[in-house]
Amino acid sequence: MTALLSQRPVRRPRGVSLIEAQKRKLFLPLVGPAFLFYTLLVVVPSAAALWISFHRWPGAGPMEFVGLRNYPRVAKDPLFQQAFLNTMLILVVVGVTIFVLAFAMSLVLRNMWGKGTVRAVIFFPHLVNALVFGALAGFIFNPGGLVNTLLRPFGVTEPPAWLAQDNIFVLIMVTLVLTHTGYFTTILMAGVDRIPPDYFEVASLAGCNAIQRLRYVIIPLTWEVFATCAVLWTISSVKIFELIWVFGGSSGVGIPPTSSWTAAVYTYVTAFSGQSVPAYGAATASAIISLVTVSIIVLLMRRIMRRDAIQY
Amino acid sequence: MLHSATPTRRQLFALGAGGAAAASLAACGGPSSGSSSGDSITYWSNWKEGESQQAVMKAAVAAFEEESGITVNVEWQGRQVTQKIVPALNTPQVPDIIDGAFAKLAPVLAATGQVLPLDDLFASEVEGEAITDIIPEKFRSESTMQDGSPWLLPTFLTSEAIWYDAGENPEISEAPPANWEEFIALLEDLKSQGRTPLAADGDIGGYNVLWFQSLYLRLTGVGGLNELVSDKSGALWDGDAALEAARCVEQIVQGGYLIPGYDASKWPAQQQAWATNDAALLLNGSWIPTETAPYATKDFEYASFPMPSPDPSGETIMRAEPTGFVIPLQAKNPEAAAEFAKFLLRMEFQEKIAAEAGQIPIREGIETIPELADISAAIDAADNTYLAADGVTYSGYMETVMQPLNDELFLGKIGAEEFISAMKEAQIAYWEAQL
Repeated sequence: MTALLSQRPVRRPRGVSLIEAQKRKLFLPLVGPAFLFYTLLVVVPSAAALWISFHRWPGAGPMEFVGLRNYPRVAKDPLFQQAFLNTMLILVVVGVTIFVLAFAMSLVLRNMWGKGTVRAVIFFPHLVNALVFGALAGFIFNPGGLVNTLLRPFGVTEPPAWLAQDNIFVLIMVTLVLTHTGYFTTILMAGVDRIPPDYFEVASLAGCNAIQRLRYVIIPLTWEVFATCAVLWTISSVKIFELIWVFGGSSGVGIPPTSSWTAAVYTYVTAFSGQSVPAYGAATASAIISLVTVSIIVLLMRRIMRRDAIQY
Repeated sequence: MLHSATPTRRQLFALGAGGAAAASLAACGGPSSGSSSGDSITYWSNWKEGESQQAVMKAAVAAFEEESGITVNVEWQGRQVTQKIVPALNTPQVPDIIDGAFAKLAPVLAATGQVLPLDDLFASEVEGEAITDIIPEKFRSESTMQDGSPWLLPTFLTSEAIWYDAGENPEISEAPPANWEEFIALLEDLKSQGRTPLAADGDIGGYNVLWFQSLYLRLTGVGGLNELVSDKSGALWDGDAALEAARCVEQIVQGGYLIPGYDASKWPAQQQAWATNDAALLLNGSWIPTETAPYATKDFEYASFPMPSPDPSGETIMRAEPTGFVIPLQAKNPEAAAEFAKFLLRMEFQEKIAAEAGQIPIREGIETIPELADISAAIDAADNTYLAADGVTYSGYMETVMQPLNDELFLGKIGAEEFISAMKEAQIAYWEAQL
């Protein structure tokens, strides 16, 4: 701070404006605290995780250095491959579904009567903790549950085995679509609402149908919003954990069937399975693999989706 | 658009130095815990406020403080205590004593060498009686030890059995099935009466696997399952016992005895169905009477019989999983902690554990609640007892190798032979992947 208060004239390199110099002077006091916190809470733990991943360690006691061997061990584990595939399925399949639906809704809702109410309704599921959906799944889909009871009057005596192990992951994906579509619709709608109405008028005068309106007006003018949403979804989808845990894992008695595991669940069970010796080395290795993959995906997406911002 | 100010190299360096300082701050633990005076201990409890067992523990803590003058700082952590203890071991905040089930504490504390050997404690006395006389020998087997020393002071046992409503099924109480053949005959009989013989929550892998594990142990004796799992060559899966146990499980699945929808429901749906007499039998733990009481039909008379053996000529064995106290190696006040642990072995608290918390106390000759009379008598009568999963704690083995494949067998996707060959293959792969 003394630097700020000192009366010394600011020595500034040639070609740097006064404003620029002032900005530079404020860089440390403004960025410093945040950077310090970020280092403490994110960078240090991440570095520690990387360090742990080079060891065989049950969480306490001596650490045995094994170098990179945890990585091939995890990568070759068929269970990790399955979990990783599930993570990608959520990222891509659920992601595409969500954005198709979100764009469709923003089209429909743009000049719909009572759109505020509708928006609130479709946004609502996002406010509910995912655990609730996991816990409700039992009530709704159990053999004697709500769905089958409702189907009975329609003559459905042999309803599908909703909660069979093979179906759980599909149900999880459907739930994710339901809970996230409203959220992204709301964000996209905010982008769509910023588009000046003249563009839509011009489009309708030119005889555009809804799809063309989407293609030539909405998507180009909300591209920035969409690109940000896509990155948000990528990052959050990889961290989805509690919904899967509760959907298949019941209320603290068991763990979800391995067919519905994602990389996050794999990491958790490897570290905290509760009934066997924790393998922190393998767990952190799987977390690091996930982190690196997601970083690469995000970078690629930014690269692919980069367009010059349209000013309007 | 304005140009953003790019930071100079010196500013970045200053940031870097700040980051390094933050890193070194993070590296050393938090503030050191207070003085390690001899007049207080920290107890992390596996019980939560409001549970009946917690009330017993609370009374014990109060009585102990009164008598010894030692303050007990209790944290009622609940079952997560075993997950919280691992990170805590790397900080100065290690509790002096924690309690929990053997199967949960063994992998995180004993297997990692973080437990205090309790030889001295086991050699001492409670109310004038030697602890070795109080705790029956069969609960002090080699398998409950680490490097030849006991590390957990048991206060009560949990077990497993096949449960039924004695009021609805008087014929079972009169003559419970003594072997596998009689058990299948009973299932057939129930089926022919138009009743659903068996309930099972098929989404809980740990429950599904009880069938195979219990049957296998009854064919090989205590320690057999551990040996099977430890076999890096997988050759033991080619043995007769593995195939016979798997065939018994297949018989249950293929016989149409299981409640419809058991393979597509969410716990506790099926144990609820059982507690309301929609199915006659349920294989589950000794906690079932307490757990299902809130929704069981009125006048439900809890009764049980042990898992029937396909080979009745062998010795009779029962699961007896101890729950009790462990003192971490880094405890600051282990002597006072040991004194507190012993307190729960007193007759007064053993009786409370039985009557008020509805558990099977470790001491013999104490009357349990009527619901647990059968299971407690079976443990007393057994020649030998085994731990949950026969004490297997290998990293991820049960969760990722045995349970998923056993689920396929128990949910009717594969048969016994296929299960055996898949298990053998998966086990070889598991051991190859271990570093």
